[in-house]
Amino acid sequence: MRSIHRSILKSLLLVLISAAFLWSCSPAEQQSSSMPDVPEMSESANTFNGDDVAEALVISTTHWLNERDIGDGEGPVSSEMLTEPQTASAGRNWLQYGGDYSNNRHSPIEQLSVENIDRLSFEWGFPSGTLGQFAVSPIVYDGIMYLTTSYNRLIALDARTGEMYWRYDHQQPEDLRLCCGPANRGASIHGDKIFMATLDARLLAFDRFSGEKLWDSEIIEYFRGFSATSAPLIVKDLALIGVGGGEFGVRGFFDAYNINTGEREWRHYTVPAEGEPGYETWSGNSYETGGAPAWTIGTYDAELNLVYWTTGNPAPDWNGDARLGDNLFSDSVLAINPDTGERVWYYQFTPHDVWDYDGNSHLFQAELDQDGENIKALVQANRNGFFYAINRENGEFIRATSYMEQLNWADSMEPSGRPVVNPEALPSEEPTMRICPGALGGMNGSVAGSLNPDLGLAFIPVIESCQLMQKGLSMFVEGQMFTGGLPIPVDGVPDEIGDVAAYGHISAVNYNTGDIAWRYYDPQPMMAGTLSTAGGLVFTGSQTGHALGLDAETGDVVWRKRLGGGVRSQPIAYELDGDAYVAIASGNFQGIAAFAGADISIPEGGQLYVFKIDN
Amino acid sequence: MQLLKTLSLLSCIAVILISCGPASEPPSKADEYLTDAAAVQRGRSIFVGTCAGYCHRLTPEVVDAVYLFDCEWKHGGSDQAIFNTVTNGVPNTRMIGFGTNFPEGEDDLWKVIAFLKSNRAACS
Repeated sequence: MRSIHRSILKSLLLVLISAAFLWSCSPAEQQSSSMPDVPEMSESANTFNGDDVAEALVISTTHWLNERDIGDGEGPVSSEMLTEPQTASAGRNWLQYGGDYSNNRHSPIEQLSVENIDRLSFEWGFPSGTLGQFAVSPIVYDGIMYLTTSYNRLIALDARTGEMYWRYDHQQPEDLRLCCGPANRGASIHGDKIFMATLDARLLAFDRFSGEKLWDSEIIEYFRGFSATSAPLIVKDLALIGVGGGEFGVRGFFDAYNINTGEREWRHYTVPAEGEPGYETWSGNSYETGGAPAWTIGTYDAELNLVYWTTGNPAPDWNGDARLGDNLFSDSVLAINPDTGERVWYYQFTPHDVWDYDGNSHLFQAELDQDGENIKALVQANRNGFFYAINRENGEFIRATSYMEQLNWADSMEPSGRPVVNPEALPSEEPTMRICPGALGGMNGSVAGSLNPDLGLAFIPVIESCQLMQKGLSMFVEGQMFTGGLPIPVDGVPDEIGDVAAYGHISAVNYNTGDIAWRYYDPQPMMAGTLSTAGGLVFTGSQTGHALGLDAETGDVVWRKRLGGGVRSQPIAYELDGDAYVAIASGNFQGIAAFAGADISIPEGGQLYVFKIDN
Repeated sequence: MQLLKTLSLLSCIAVILISCGPASEPPSKADEYLTDAAAVQRGRSIFVGTCAGYCHRLTPEVVDAVYLFDCEWKHGGSDQAIFNTVTNGVPNTRMIGFGTNFPEGEDDLWKVIAFLKSNRAACS
């Protein structure tokens, strides 16, 4: 009897095993079992004590605070300090994304020169601990570097040694609405506060010494298609930040928040509401899902009291059939009164865009010499391949010339500044034409350029990667992609049209004439920012993982170091104790690298490198 | 007793093999559209305009959304499972359910599925 019972038990066991197996083979169960848990949003804060590293290593946390006395005693950052040009006296710091309000990213440090470049050697490094593009432009003040990483880690470091003072890891929901990777391009500073915008569309403020979070404001519900990747622009007592979401059919906007309270002071929508000026440029009710995101940082002219902010593509991207008209104020630059948030003037780069030519590329403030007349201008290497000069007092178009080698979507530029579109270069259901530039543009807004006013040159990182553009039926569902088609990478893809390889260059553009002074060519698209120095250098990085130093007058490579990961960051320079430093981060996002026709064989993973010339 | 054990084992194996073998799914409305070129073309156009922009690409590329023309399915590969996933979405991901928002209702979604099926790799 005992053996019978054993056999029956064994049989039952087998049946149970089979049932379990069946359960696991069920597609429905696969679905539910594969659902990730909702991440815990709670955060713990622990004081980081540099003397007790062991304790720090074993504690699982998301926020390390600092209690030590740090910094060089330079005091709070005032609005006047932010307004001051990045001259030799102020130039030891790097206070803003663009260096100063001009956005020229031109360091006054003269020892960063062709003559000294051989003495520029590795000093310290720091890992991001994250994947995705390490797109940061660090800020440096008071001997402290403030660094952001992909997925919104914010870290304070000793700018001399790289020692970590404090760290905050923002906890993200798993269903972020990102088109193009988990980027963050930097933090901002005012007073004793540090500001960071997040991928889940929040704006945060921290004490710059302790790392304590001071306020946390939701910009908008991220799950409706929004995100924020830019460094905020600080103007007076306001933190200005715009949103991404052009691929989700959002209604774009940028906001101003009180830097002391985190309360929103104004919001400027980039697509008009019914009845507002510009509404007539949208057919039907297409304005409701018009896009025009404001995802990059603007610039501020304190003398004119105007903020300049750019806008991105109308939605859906590649099918304009349902949004006939110019689609204002997409692909534009807007001049805004920062005290009210009201628009003073606008200029639209790409009316009725069907190529995803965001107008969000880096804006420079430049003083143009036009027939002996000095003109306060904005200059920009637009994503659509034209290098523009616009009068920044009134928005008048001055000039647009191609800074690319393959631009073909437009045949010419009208005197009014309206491009004459090549009728063959439109998205279609069965595309066969390589449209140039591709959807990432000639220069993408995710990277910064630089400008040397002494040489009259702007240094532009350029992507030469054309694409087919395919049109399809678009359908708006809030929070879902709303693209109306897709770009198809063909350059660098074997046996594709023409067998043309994607490549890149740094173009030195004479911003007074639009002429190209020189080009540095690279076998991969150039997708890192540039830094200019008063000593006559241009720093940048390549997709093959190299940091590069170029002679600003000739484009000759005078310095080259392999960093490892593809470079998507914005290099900066600073000076401490008379020593000059250059910081540049490496770490790519393969999704966009592949999109551009760049090398995707190099692994992701971020690392900051800091180089130094000893005085 | 040995016979009982053997029979139990064989029956379990048979059940496992049947359950995990190629699914014999019932015909769906997508199958009706497979031979309708205009319907497949409309499904393709919706897929291109709605799904393929930055997510489900037409060719296997390095993106963070799954490629839908191979034989691997995270949430069920039957026509009905695909229909349900597209309609209801996948929680905690950016795959939001499209609900009933297709311009011509469910027919449009079945046409998208027909387009997927007509371009799917042969699955062994």
